[in-house]
Amino acid sequence: MSAVRWGRGAAGFGRALWPAGTPGLLAEEGALGGVWGRKRSSTASPCEQDRRKDWGHAELLEVLKARVRQLQAEGMAEVTVKRVAKRVAVARAPEAGGAQPPRQAPAGAKGAGAKGAAATLSSRWAQKLDSDQQLMEKRKQRLEGKLQKRVEKGAWQKQLRLEPRLLSRKLASQLQHWEQGAPRSPWEEQLAQLLQEAPHRLSSEAAAAPADRGPESRLEGQQQRLLSFFECCLLTGHLPLAHHVLVTHHSKSQQQRLLTLSMYNMVMLGWARQGSFKELTYVFFMLKDAGLAPDLQSYAAALQCMGRLDQDAGTIRRCLKQMAQDGLQLQGLFTAVPLSAEERAELLRAVRKAKPTFTPPRPPVPPPQVNTSPLLREIYAKQDPAVSYPRLHLSLKELQGLFQQQLRVEMATTITVESVEKVPLLTKEVLHARKTLAGLRTRWRTALYRELQETKESEAHAAREGRLSLFPYLCLLSEKEVVRMLLQTLQALPAQGESLLFLAHELGLRVFKRKQLRNEVQELEQRYSKYLHLLASDTQVAEPCLPRQHWEALGVPEAPHEQPWPMSVVVQLGKQLAEVLVRAAQMPSSLAAPRSPGTLIPVLYHVYSFRSFRQIGILKPHPAFTQLLETAAERTLTFESTDVPMLCPPLPWTSPHSGAFLLSPTKMMRSVEGSQQHQLLLERCPPAELHGALDALTQLGNCAWRVNGRVLDLVLQLFADKGCPRLGVPAPPSEAPRPPEGRRAPNRCLLPEVSPAEKAEMRRELARRLKVAREMQSLRADALYRLSLARHLRHRVFWLPHNMDFRGRTYPCSPHFNHLGSDLARALLEFAQGRPLGPHGLNWLKIHLVNLTGLKKRESLQARRDYADELMEDILDSADRPMTGRKWWMEADEPWQALACCMEVARAVRAPDPAAYVSHFPVHQDGSCNGLQHYAALGRDSVGAASVNLLPSDLPQDVYSEVAAQVEVFRRQDAEQGVQVAQVLEGFISRKVVKQTVMTVVYGVTRYGGRLQIEKRLREIHDFPQDFVWEASHYLVRQVFNSLQEMFSGTRSIQRWLTESARLISHTGSAVEWVTPLGIPIIQPYHRDSKVMIKGGLQSLTFSSSVDTSQKPNTLKQKNGFPPNFIHSLDSSHMMLTALHCYRKGLTFVSVHDCFWTHAADVAVMNQVCREQFVRLHSQPILHNLSRFLIERFCSDPRTSKSIWVSRLMDTLLSVPKTGTFNLEQVKHSTYFFS
Amino acid sequence: MWVPGVGLLSRLMLSAMTRAGRFCILKSGAVRLMDVPAGNRRGLSDYYPHLMPSVGFGKSSSRVYRCRSETKRYITSPRVAETLVRILRGKRKSCQLFLECNPGPGILTRALLESGAKVIALESDETFIPQLKSLGKKVNGRLEVVYCDFFKLDPRSRGILTPPVMTSDMLFQYLGIEAQPWSKGAPLKAIGILPPKNERSALWKLLHDLYSCTSIYKYGRLELNLFISEKECRKIMANPQNPSLYQALSVLCQIACGIKLLHTESCLSFGTYTANGQLAKQKHRESLEQNLCFIQLTPHRNLFAGTLTPFNYDVFFHMLRQCFMKRNAKLIDHLHSLSPIDAMHILKQIKKNKDVKVIDMYPEDFQHLFETIECSKDDNYKWLYDDFMEDVII
Repeated sequence: MSAVRWGRGAAGFGRALWPAGTPGLLAEEGALGGVWGRKRSSTASPCEQDRRKDWGHAELLEVLKARVRQLQAEGMAEVTVKRVAKRVAVARAPEAGGAQPPRQAPAGAKGAGAKGAAATLSSRWAQKLDSDQQLMEKRKQRLEGKLQKRVEKGAWQKQLRLEPRLLSRKLASQLQHWEQGAPRSPWEEQLAQLLQEAPHRLSSEAAAAPADRGPESRLEGQQQRLLSFFECCLLTGHLPLAHHVLVTHHSKSQQQRLLTLSMYNMVMLGWARQGSFKELTYVFFMLKDAGLAPDLQSYAAALQCMGRLDQDAGTIRRCLKQMAQDGLQLQGLFTAVPLSAEERAELLRAVRKAKPTFTPPRPPVPPPQVNTSPLLREIYAKQDPAVSYPRLHLSLKELQGLFQQQLRVEMATTITVESVEKVPLLTKEVLHARKTLAGLRTRWRTALYRELQETKESEAHAAREGRLSLFPYLCLLSEKEVVRMLLQTLQALPAQGESLLFLAHELGLRVFKRKQLRNEVQELEQRYSKYLHLLASDTQVAEPCLPRQHWEALGVPEAPHEQPWPMSVVVQLGKQLAEVLVRAAQMPSSLAAPRSPGTLIPVLYHVYSFRSFRQIGILKPHPAFTQLLETAAERTLTFESTDVPMLCPPLPWTSPHSGAFLLSPTKMMRSVEGSQQHQLLLERCPPAELHGALDALTQLGNCAWRVNGRVLDLVLQLFADKGCPRLGVPAPPSEAPRPPEGRRAPNRCLLPEVSPAEKAEMRRELARRLKVAREMQSLRADALYRLSLARHLRHRVFWLPHNMDFRGRTYPCSPHFNHLGSDLARALLEFAQGRPLGPHGLNWLKIHLVNLTGLKKRESLQARRDYADELMEDILDSADRPMTGRKWWMEADEPWQALACCMEVARAVRAPDPAAYVSHFPVHQDGSCNGLQHYAALGRDSVGAASVNLLPSDLPQDVYSEVAAQVEVFRRQDAEQGVQVAQVLEGFISRKVVKQTVMTVVYGVTRYGGRLQIEKRLREIHDFPQDFVWEASHYLVRQVFNSLQEMFSGTRSIQRWLTESARLISHTGSAVEWVTPLGIPIIQPYHRDSKVMIKGGLQSLTFSSSVDTSQKPNTLKQKNGFPPNFIHSLDSSHMMLTALHCYRKGLTFVSVHDCFWTHAADVAVMNQVCREQFVRLHSQPILHNLSRFLIERFCSDPRTSKSIWVSRLMDTLLSVPKTGTFNLEQVKHSTYFFS
Repeated sequence: MWVPGVGLLSRLMLSAMTRAGRFCILKSGAVRLMDVPAGNRRGLSDYYPHLMPSVGFGKSSSRVYRCRSETKRYITSPRVAETLVRILRGKRKSCQLFLECNPGPGILTRALLESGAKVIALESDETFIPQLKSLGKKVNGRLEVVYCDFFKLDPRSRGILTPPVMTSDMLFQYLGIEAQPWSKGAPLKAIGILPPKNERSALWKLLHDLYSCTSIYKYGRLELNLFISEKECRKIMANPQNPSLYQALSVLCQIACGIKLLHTESCLSFGTYTANGQLAKQKHRESLEQNLCFIQLTPHRNLFAGTLTPFNYDVFFHMLRQCFMKRNAKLIDHLHSLSPIDAMHILKQIKKNKDVKVIDMYPEDFQHLFETIECSKDDNYKWLYDDFMEDVII
């Protein structure tokens, strides 16, 4: 039976399972403290006295708790239980003070003092308790007696183990010898001797292993867990615990295999930092015992420790000699090992003792790194007079003020925003509900503190038994912070509940993210302030350079980032926290049932739902609690600070893991959670190769935005009123066809005379209504977030930091409010920086307006402009009276953006000189079927190129219409031959029917998906005989594919070639990798699912992850994913090139993948850059480069070259598809390429 | 592919499962899932329709999509047919109406017709249709042959339906059979063999239809006479006295219908055909040694007389599935996840002690439990279950 613990009463249950004599947290901490106190003096005598005091307190606590349990079990009066419970709580209060292990050794004494005081206090309570009831007293004594015995027995076992257990007899005897002789021979000598003992067993293998496993080398799950455990222990100051776990693992040969050099090194480093030489030597023994060869880091730790302890020169010299024998460079200690300034000084002190003349190499000056991509040569060319990098419109002072604001937001980790929901009338009811909520929250806070401490207790207990418990993770954040986080979670839980797995994952990740927060604020502030000189409007820099270059010039590169935690740890930690929340959150039952006695009932319930054969655990709030929240109608929303746009220019991207937010580390490449392969790939990549991506992302993030206030006002007005689903403003829940009382039965349902069939019908109707209501609610919540943030940011300038997905496509980091969203979201944004329209700007505004209406797609630019002029009256009317006038804008394809554009046009034409009018409005240029454009250029398909506007032409071409025409040709042929479906379809084949399929075909839609799309379109056609839909859609999708094949023959062979290569690569056992023309390494994270199970607690959680690189690749996904992902990597390269070149010309540029935005005045320049860069990109031998890369990556390994898959792969890769005759240069003159 | 926004995590291929395979489900979740708003889907495992492995858009092979080949059992022995006719018809001579599902070669059909009954044959395999039709011509209208799959009536997906898949409305209208009120007797008797590969899902589907009064049960209390494997038969007839077989399906079946075991027959007396009408070789010895039970499922007349109605049956279903997920656990532990009402209070009302286990509860006890909670007066909130969860289920 898997250990599923049930939601309610789980706490008590879990605790009751413990042996009654388990000492409480205090006792354990006491023991820990003992170790801590000892470490300086380096004597093995434990601090007996301290411990006794602690035991006294712990016992008492335990007794009281046991008493509570007992009373509860016996069903005695509620009141008594409560009284005792209160005592426990009180008794625990001082414990909270002493519970935090002192980080520095001197603090230990203070803690002990406090504990002593607590002990006397609690003994007074004990007396009181005794006098309360005779009976209780007797029982208590009995219990106490039992306890005492256990405690005495277990006391020594509870000690954290320090001495290693060595497996190698020789080493063990050496150690023993050493220990016995300890008083006489100094340990240092031992260490030096030990060092000379070259590891016999594994040294050669160990050295070979990393190189051997090459890029796939990756810590396995369990090892990852161990490493992050040690790391957390170090971080939270639980070094003895880390040591203990290391020893425990080391002493079992099965577990020892999991230990890697870096783990020993980490523990050693911890001891070194504290200057505990004895423990360090122990670890060194173990390291040798495991047959590992110490590396630079091990030596660095040892030397650092010697430096701290001021050891004599002889030992150090021997150590250095041994290091040289191991083939390690002394210089390396200072260049290859990451050290803090202080550690560096200690290390140097030690080295100087042995070699007084030694001077450490200068901090590695980054060698002049130059990006080698031919595409970027211009960007990084030295000094070009034509360069005019843009500057912001804000002064240095303003920007510094903004930085302070953003810093405050990030230090608070969350930000509370007023919601745009209507203000409720402050009736008595509302006020009462708010008061109740406030009261509940106070109660929960206390309960959460208590539960959290109890959880820590039990985890600490587990850790002391050598298990990898969550204890150090739980100590990462302060209890206050955790409690606040949990309360927020409870607040934000949707009424229908949230899957436990999701919740756990999110909570775990939050802890991880917050732990990562940078803390060198001051340094950052100075550097950032200097950095602003590059961007501010009123400052000068010596020579123009890119933001990243400027930032790098201001200081040394940052310390390496921390490894992410393995998924299982994240989920386990989150689950633990969720359980704490479930146990702690309780409310009086009178909220649910007015007439019930005032007992406490849980707020959260763990319920199950069934999906197919799976059972999904959901945490669900009590409906009464949801109701309470609704009544209270608190109008605040809380966001994580990283989910909100930034208030100052983001940090420039300087490496795959530093950039964007000021304090919260952000990854440059987002990927599926838990996958590491991208990060590894990026880290291995020479830094200069990433410059293109880093600079492009920085540049996209540096665009300043502001909210379009007039549009926002209109939307808010609609939102507060009844909404308008047609315009994308969701209606409030009051508009939904809401059943009167939740899912409760209408009264008729209870009547026996209503027939079962009618009741069934009622149920369906109710379900339908609820579904509509729920959908509306989720849409509404989405809009609520967006609009609330928009209103919050109104009258401010803000920035949207960007990062990219694993194919290089860029996205803004803030999820709720950005320029990637729907029409409504886009209309709310405009550039904060204005540009005068200039001679042609107004024309571009008009053309853009017509583009937004979607009316004149196949007309020339001139015709679109004329059309706008014709409609000027309507446009002005829309701008002036959007809600009361003729409402011309509402009919547009993108109504809100059209409205915003109408307003801009109106302002511009009314300006005294339109050319001088300063416009903030972004004008878009869209690629027409961008995926096919790239395919056509790759394959040089003349016909295809013409249909996607790569060829100059007077009118824009429309690939969808052309495919439709081609399909029609095929249909007619078939109809003549008497194919029934073809005959039925006569007159129904239109652009609309095929559009979606053609559009998505480049992105890998299959026949299956394509058929579904077409089926949907056919169903929308009313006079189409619906009986034929299935057959017709089937027929049509085939014909669409055939037509595309006819028109894009090169494309087809390229797609096949890509697919086949991916299939073969996957069969050789690797995931497909490639490098974009800009140099970004890419790997497809599709592997066979691996299951991870986390047992115990509320529910066992199982999740499967497809990113585990130890699993074989998922061939189907690898091969189906390769063509579209490859094309995406090309279109992102094109976008980045355009962005970088626009930046050189001083333009404001942002993009939504294949839709480029800039000021109206600059559209012509951007268009020119866009075309030039497209030509340059495709002038590269892209496919040949790819082929060469893949051959080298996958076919060059001599060990596998005999495999049949590899030889087949080689053949495939060598036969790069032939290309057509299209002349690429023509793109430069194609007006409608992007338009 | 990459959707930025709120649901960053929706990309995680996470799925929470505790134990697999205990409960089969009526349909693939795909179609219904599309309708669930994205906000509600987060965190639950992503389930996408399985994409056909097709390469690019260039491949010209036109694949005909057939149902997966499933084997079906048919009555091939005249002796069995005679036995069945004797059981079903008794000594009656009157003209009774039978609905025969998947008659196949029509051995039983012939026997029924010979006994003077009227038969509607629903055949899902086209290869048998001509044969059956020619049989129909000989008995002047007493046999109606319809190309229809009885066990796939009323699929949940909303595509257009092509025979043999159809809706019960289509079928009954075509046959000209009127709906009868629940209190009346059975309008007709159906005879069939549960599809051997997925007996359980077929049973679940039938039960859902029965409790919700939809599909065939919209037309009255249809009596089913089914061949079912002995193993399943023992399961649906199990109760706390044979706890190892007792499960949610047993409770649901026994609450809904009277179950009568009419006859037991060895598997050897049946022929197994693959999808295209070929006589298949029987592969596994085990399957040969198995018996098939012929059982009669008659829905109770008073099934909906109490609190349990087609309006709230889904809660009852959920309660049972949940309970039997951990059959050996105490009922009280399950109650915490089912209803916010105080569990002890509920147990007191149904007069069970607090240590009662799920497998100790008789079907009637479960019904009583359900009714107790459903009727509890004090509490505004009776169930934690809501139809968000139902969306996930069905």
